[in-house]
Amino acid sequence: MKILKYTLGLLLSIFIASCSSDDHDTMEDLTGQTGSLILKFDNGIGNQDFIFGTTYTNFKGETYQLETLKYLISNVRLTDNQGNTYTYPEEENIFIVSEANGNAAGEIYITLNNIDAANYTHVTFGIGVDQERYASGADGQGDFLTTAQDEGMMWSWATGYRFMRLDGTYSSPTKTNAALNIHMGSVGTSVDNYKETTLAFPNEVLVREAKEPSVHIKADIAQVFDGLTSVSFDAGYAQVHTDEITTGVIATNMSGIFSVHHVHND
Amino acid sequence: MKDSQNFNKISLFVIAFIMNIHAIKATEIDPPFDTYKHVFEPFGVTCDLCGCSTSSGSFGFGTLSNSNFVGIRYIYQSFESKDGIFSNSPTTKETFNTYQLWAQLPINDVFYLSLNVPYQDLNRAYENGYKENLNGLGDSSIMGWYKLQFYKKESDSLTFSTERMASGHSLQFGVGVKLPTGKFEEALADNVNPGFQVGTGSVDGVFAIGYNYGSNKFGVNTLMTYYLKGENKNDYQFGNQFSYSTNFFTAFSKKNYNIMPFIGFSGDVYDKITQYNETLADTDGKILSGTIGSEVAIEKFIFGTNYTLPLSQNLFGGNVKSKNRFSIYVNFAL
Repeated sequence: MKILKYTLGLLLSIFIASCSSDDHDTMEDLTGQTGSLILKFDNGIGNQDFIFGTTYTNFKGETYQLETLKYLISNVRLTDNQGNTYTYPEEENIFIVSEANGNAAGEIYITLNNIDAANYTHVTFGIGVDQERYASGADGQGDFLTTAQDEGMMWSWATGYRFMRLDGTYSSPTKTNAALNIHMGSVGTSVDNYKETTLAFPNEVLVREAKEPSVHIKADIAQVFDGLTSVSFDAGYAQVHTDEITTGVIATNMSGIFSVHHVHND
Repeated sequence: MKDSQNFNKISLFVIAFIMNIHAIKATEIDPPFDTYKHVFEPFGVTCDLCGCSTSSGSFGFGTLSNSNFVGIRYIYQSFESKDGIFSNSPTTKETFNTYQLWAQLPINDVFYLSLNVPYQDLNRAYENGYKENLNGLGDSSIMGWYKLQFYKKESDSLTFSTERMASGHSLQFGVGVKLPTGKFEEALADNVNPGFQVGTGSVDGVFAIGYNYGSNKFGVNTLMTYYLKGENKNDYQFGNQFSYSTNFFTAFSKKNYNIMPFIGFSGDVYDKITQYNETLADTDGKILSGTIGSEVAIEKFIFGTNYTLPLSQNLFGGNVKSKNRFSIYVNFAL
């Protein structure tokens, strides 16, 4: 019996020793601390990864293939668990998410630097360019104007930016490999198609100086055509450019394609 | 008289067991989650079952006959993981080679220790041809066991026999720790799977109950193990794990050797991973596998091999699939 007691005593003490942990501060002081955050945009069609040249089918039974897929993201804001909102510096707060720039897994990274350290719970961003930014004139656009022009995301200064650009072909009972161009945007100041979306994180995102957390955002491109409204290419949605009605429908659909799949706290 | 003695031993054991659980719980009530370091596609899933779990109860701690030994064991495991969030996302193939020093060492008639020191050699291949390798000392474990041997009823109570007849039935109670002797690497690169680790970096409590029956011709070997996972330095806490296994074996005795083929099943159930007081979605899972194998005993040497094939599994939201595993070992009976 003695050996029994000693053995168990020994094991018990090993346990207690190994399981005691250092004291950690539960309330971290994050004042003045900044960190970075990566937004990973991952385009898909339903539960399929989006791939250029692959044939997809919309709800109306029309098939389509794309060779260009890009959109503008701006005004990224983060809300923390205290309800505070952090807004990324305005001048840099506009990005082009282009499928062509995706990594091997088809993810497009937007890296936000020097963000206030906090435990974030939500992200809000706009699709396209808001009227205020547009009203700041060509000089107010900074380097982004050139970038957008290079990426084919500008019509003209008077008309403004293309918020998204889907180029490809579609086939329907009446058409075969007809041109498909969805170039939605605001039209000058006469049509405002800028819309925002707010996404909740499944786990808090901890932005800290020595970490690089990421948010994996899934964009379901199928919902551009089959979102709040299901559209038919044959019925006026094969060429969406500056028309007030069709761009508005696409803009509303587009604002609902995003969801946060998961987050990493690195 | 014998029964009451056994009962006392059991109670003592149970008390110690409960005390241990409390000791661990007490430190876990106030979990110091503040930071952790990790990147993993697709889900931040560090699948504990991958590199780090080869000391798992579903692999067994010893030989069929529950005898004392020192030996070496090689374990091969293969997995397939999804590398992305879509159903057509690419997959990666993982193969894990584990080389273990393992032993069951007697303390006295009823107590023994089991030890396990693994060396891990992990490989991962991406669809685009990119390969990763990680190797090094894995997580070692040590367990103390109490063996409760059951004896046949003495038919003649007037005879004072010093030698009691073993009934062949026994229970084993084990308590131990899994130590973070394997390095839990901080994120190496964005495309490295942290489940692709040689160690969990945590101290885990291990509790086990086994039942053995062995006669000359037939035997059963059952083991249930519970792992209370600690958190690692990176403030990452794997989900607690329950493992079980049952093997039925038969014995063919030859003049110079014994052959003991066995067949059985084993399984693991994983709780969700915790990070900053939050559980992570799709980080739990379960797997049930069938096992077939054999041991051959030649004098003091026991040669063993087994093959395990998953029968049903749902690991980490279906994003990780265990393909099969295979082990081979040579033990020297003490």
